Amino acid sequence: MAVLEVKNICKAFGKTEVLKGIDFSLEKGQVLSIIGSSGSGKTTLLRCLNSLEFADKGTITVNDTVIFDGSRTTKRSDAELRERRLHFGLVFQSFNLFPQYTVLENITLAPNLLKKDTPENNKEKALKLLDEVGLSEKANNYPCELSGGQQQRVAIARALAMDPEILCFDEPTSALDPELTGEVLKVIRSLADGHMTMIVVTHEMGFAKDVSDTVIFMDDGVIAEQGTPDEVFGNPRTERLKAFLASYSK
Amino acid sequence: MTFAEITLFLANGFVVSLLIFAVTLLCAVPLGLPIAFCSMSRFRPVKYVAKTIVWIIRGVPLMLQIFIIYYVPGLLFGNPIFAQIDRYILRNFDIPNDGGVLQLLLTNAGGLVAVFIAFALNYACYFSEIYRGGIESISKGQYEAGYVLGMSKSQVFKKIVLKQVIKRIVPPMSNEIITLIKDTALANCIMIPEIIKQAKELAATKALIWPLFYTGVFYLLFVGLLTILLGRLEKKLSYFKD
Repeated sequence: MAVLEVKNICKAFGKTEVLKGIDFSLEKGQVLSIIGSSGSGKTTLLRCLNSLEFADKGTITVNDTVIFDGSRTTKRSDAELRERRLHFGLVFQSFNLFPQYTVLENITLAPNLLKKDTPENNKEKALKLLDEVGLSEKANNYPCELSGGQQQRVAIARALAMDPEILCFDEPTSALDPELTGEVLKVIRSLADGHMTMIVVTHEMGFAKDVSDTVIFMDDGVIAEQGTPDEVFGNPRTERLKAFLASYSK
Repeated sequence: MTFAEITLFLANGFVVSLLIFAVTLLCAVPLGLPIAFCSMSRFRPVKYVAKTIVWIIRGVPLMLQIFIIYYVPGLLFGNPIFAQIDRYILRNFDIPNDGGVLQLLLTNAGGLVAVFIAFALNYACYFSEIYRGGIESISKGQYEAGYVLGMSKSQVFKKIVLKQVIKRIVPPMSNEIITLIKDTALANCIMIPEIIKQAKELAATKALIWPLFYTGVFYLLFVGLLTILLGRLEKKLSYFKD
């Protein structure tokens, strides 16, 4: 059964059409990678899923519940928006940790504010998540004392603390030095092994090939190609994808 | 008059200066926030009203604003409220006649209220611009990180943005606060007996000019104290970087 179904998502900023009818679905426990050159609409798509942007048209369905319908004209309440966002987690390219809080507080802030569980249980869970991303010993450090890779791993733990059904990554390694991308990719890989449902926007082709169940190639606001990693990387059908992949193998 | 007597005479005036300083901060620090929010409002009329008020208040000398607030109610509306405050106090209070602080305050209560209003409005407008700059300097990513975790707008502002804003505005606020203690001297334009007015009083009645220069010591010591305190606050917030 599809945990996520996206139908005919269109989005324009002013006169610039960024998404021109995106359709895809995602099964529970699967990993979807989205590749494509800059400006193809990958990030906007993720932002629409996370209700940071609102599509002009189309529907988004999570577990058979329509959480977004572009044809609806009634106003979205803040409470509705917040509930809708909780289906998804989002890990940003630039981490966006809260600088004034320790690593542990970064992870427990939202669960405590939203009274997800008792503060003790939230803390316990945060420590467990920190252990999973290999940063137990940094619990009481501030973000500025961490490397980029460590910050991104904390950001992943922070997103996981709210138990999202689908975890989204927006180019999680693009802001990192090459030697730090490995530790972040390793964490995402272990999440995939644990059957976390994920959508990863990435420029790491090798990683996308290894870890994904499905790969989407976006070009100019549409899904130009979609398939298993073997199909997309091994046997690209369109000239655009061939050219795109060629630019990476240089 | 001995040196000690002159020091005490000036110190009484400096208490008045400090009172203007404290009341202004107490009122302007919170009042700046709604003005900042209004000038960032997406609702245009609110935004333009706020911006116009800030433009007028920052564009006109504070001394002129003191005159306007003090005299306009009487001149334009036939209702000299500040003089009435003086009259009321004169009638209902037993004013000591020892030249002490209490006498200075009670005999000038109306004018002081006008000064408080003028200073609070003026400084609130300056503070609002500092707040606005601080709030707008926080990256969109900080808000979005809070939103995607399911936090409400007010939670994001209070729990995530506010402390980062405070850290960023401490240095410019320190500047304004230090300017404020010196600006209190403007109150002598409506005869409020702050320290410079007191010194001028000595020049006029005792033909002593040096106390006027001596007042600088009071300001210097207080600004020194402020610098230390504000520096400590800055250091206290240096545990995180953004």
